[in-house]
Amino acid sequence: MIVRAALCPSPPLLAREFTGLADVLPSLRDACAAAVADLLAPAPDVVAVVGAGQETATCDPEDRLDLSAYAPGLRVARAPGVPAGAQASPSGAPAADGQAVDPGKPGKPGLPLALGVGALLLDEAGYAGPRVLQAVDEFAPAADCLRLGRDLADAAPRVALLAVGDGSTRRGPTAPGYLDERAAPFDAAVERAVRAGDMPALARLDPDLARDLMATGRAAWQVLAGAMDGTRPSAGIRYADAPFGVAYLVAVLTPHG
Amino acid sequence: MLMGDLEPGPLRLGRQQFPPEQRLVMAIVNRTPDSFYRPGVTWDAGAALDQVHAAVAEGADILDVGGVPAKPGPEVTVAEEIRRVVPFVAAVRAAYPDLVISVDTWRHEAARAVCEAGADLLNDTWSGWDPLVADVAAEFGAGLVCTHVGTLTPRTRPFRPSFTDVMADVLDRVLWLAERAVKAGVDPARIVIDPAHDFGKNTWHSLELTRRLGELTATGWPVLLSASRKDFVGETVGAPVDDRLAGTLAVTAVGAWLGARIFRAHDVRETRQALDMVAAIRGDLPPARAVRGLA
Repeated sequence: MIVRAALCPSPPLLAREFTGLADVLPSLRDACAAAVADLLAPAPDVVAVVGAGQETATCDPEDRLDLSAYAPGLRVARAPGVPAGAQASPSGAPAADGQAVDPGKPGKPGLPLALGVGALLLDEAGYAGPRVLQAVDEFAPAADCLRLGRDLADAAPRVALLAVGDGSTRRGPTAPGYLDERAAPFDAAVERAVRAGDMPALARLDPDLARDLMATGRAAWQVLAGAMDGTRPSAGIRYADAPFGVAYLVAVLTPHG
Repeated sequence: MLMGDLEPGPLRLGRQQFPPEQRLVMAIVNRTPDSFYRPGVTWDAGAALDQVHAAVAEGADILDVGGVPAKPGPEVTVAEEIRRVVPFVAAVRAAYPDLVISVDTWRHEAARAVCEAGADLLNDTWSGWDPLVADVAAEFGAGLVCTHVGTLTPRTRPFRPSFTDVMADVLDRVLWLAERAVKAGVDPARIVIDPAHDFGKNTWHSLELTRRLGELTATGWPVLLSASRKDFVGETVGAPVDDRLAGTLAVTAVGAWLGARIFRAHDVRETRQALDMVAAIRGDLPPARAVRGLA
């Protein structure tokens, strides 16, 4: 069963190294760190991370975000479990004298972004316990997502679920997906559902609309809805904004009883 | 350690130490009424100090103060050179205790006076014409720039210079000067070499030296690139001195890519930007702020 769940977005810029000398959206990074800390507080048997991928599949729990895919040539030395900030130079810049990023195993595709970000957040929280990295087909029907969620909840007596994904990408003319008037209402509906612990409302999100709005979190949220099916968890929203036109939602859900 | 392919080490200037991957901007402040670019703009001591403040704010790491123009012209006696430069060096030192101050001079009397006033680096632009300049550097623990000017004497212009291999000539001269400086007691970590674009060279020679700058940086000595608004830039792009910034920055970028470490510049802000851009391309410096496509 699910002892606690958290929602976090998956912008690559959550990896501190990617934004260069400037610390971009530290408040979002802090909110994610706090949510993951809450997620881990009940000492779960396993942490399941779910995020969108090209297909539904379990990934190697040892895999990590492929930094070189987003920042080739980046020089960082990040040991697992060590926050990037702990290695920053006095100027606040990422360590410039570190090793070039390990290019990874040739021919092996990296983790889907959402799982890579989830793995990163767990590492940064210092979590070294068992983890499941579960990709869900970004366009999977809601019923498949709900079923996957129920299976994840049954994986262990005490499962913590980290659902990683983003809201719409069309919140304004400067947004990556340009403006779509349906974007803000969609994101507001998601936030309302999470705030109310209303799992059926998440289960009812329209996959076609989500696809139109480039809301990559829809499938992961419906996995969450399946995993917490029949409960009405209490929620704490830690971040809900779209500073770059992409909706980021950070929340923690705790089931009752 | 003087010849051959050395691993570049840290460069020490004044109280500071700079690692090999750090590219330094050397801001030009002329205490002359008649230098080639914007003549007389810092002839007034107050204006010169204002320019120092601006250069520091724009990212200069080193100041290069000159009291005698390179081109031929009215004689500037040693006493007059000292009068132009020394009080100014003292004023800059008082205002900026840690700023690296270089002085462009070829005469040991002036060199001694500026070192007493707090200069850190002697930019001996005329290629060791006065060998006692190296002795002054050694005595004061100052740095020394070892340059190549071919067969020129100070303050003369090149007349039909030719070389079998201009880079070989440059290497011979600057490495010999560096060796002489070490023997004179100059700290090897404070020695810089400079091919001296335009000095005793035509435009083709300066282009060749730019193209082959990697041969100089491969010696391991820190290389100073002094190209700002010079004639070879102007002749190459067909532009008068006021319109040579883009050409200068192109030379700057190529030089930085090939490993030069100090860039003597009139345009500090633009040079700093160009060098930061090259540093980021090389992977030595992260972008200032990267968000595009990452949100």
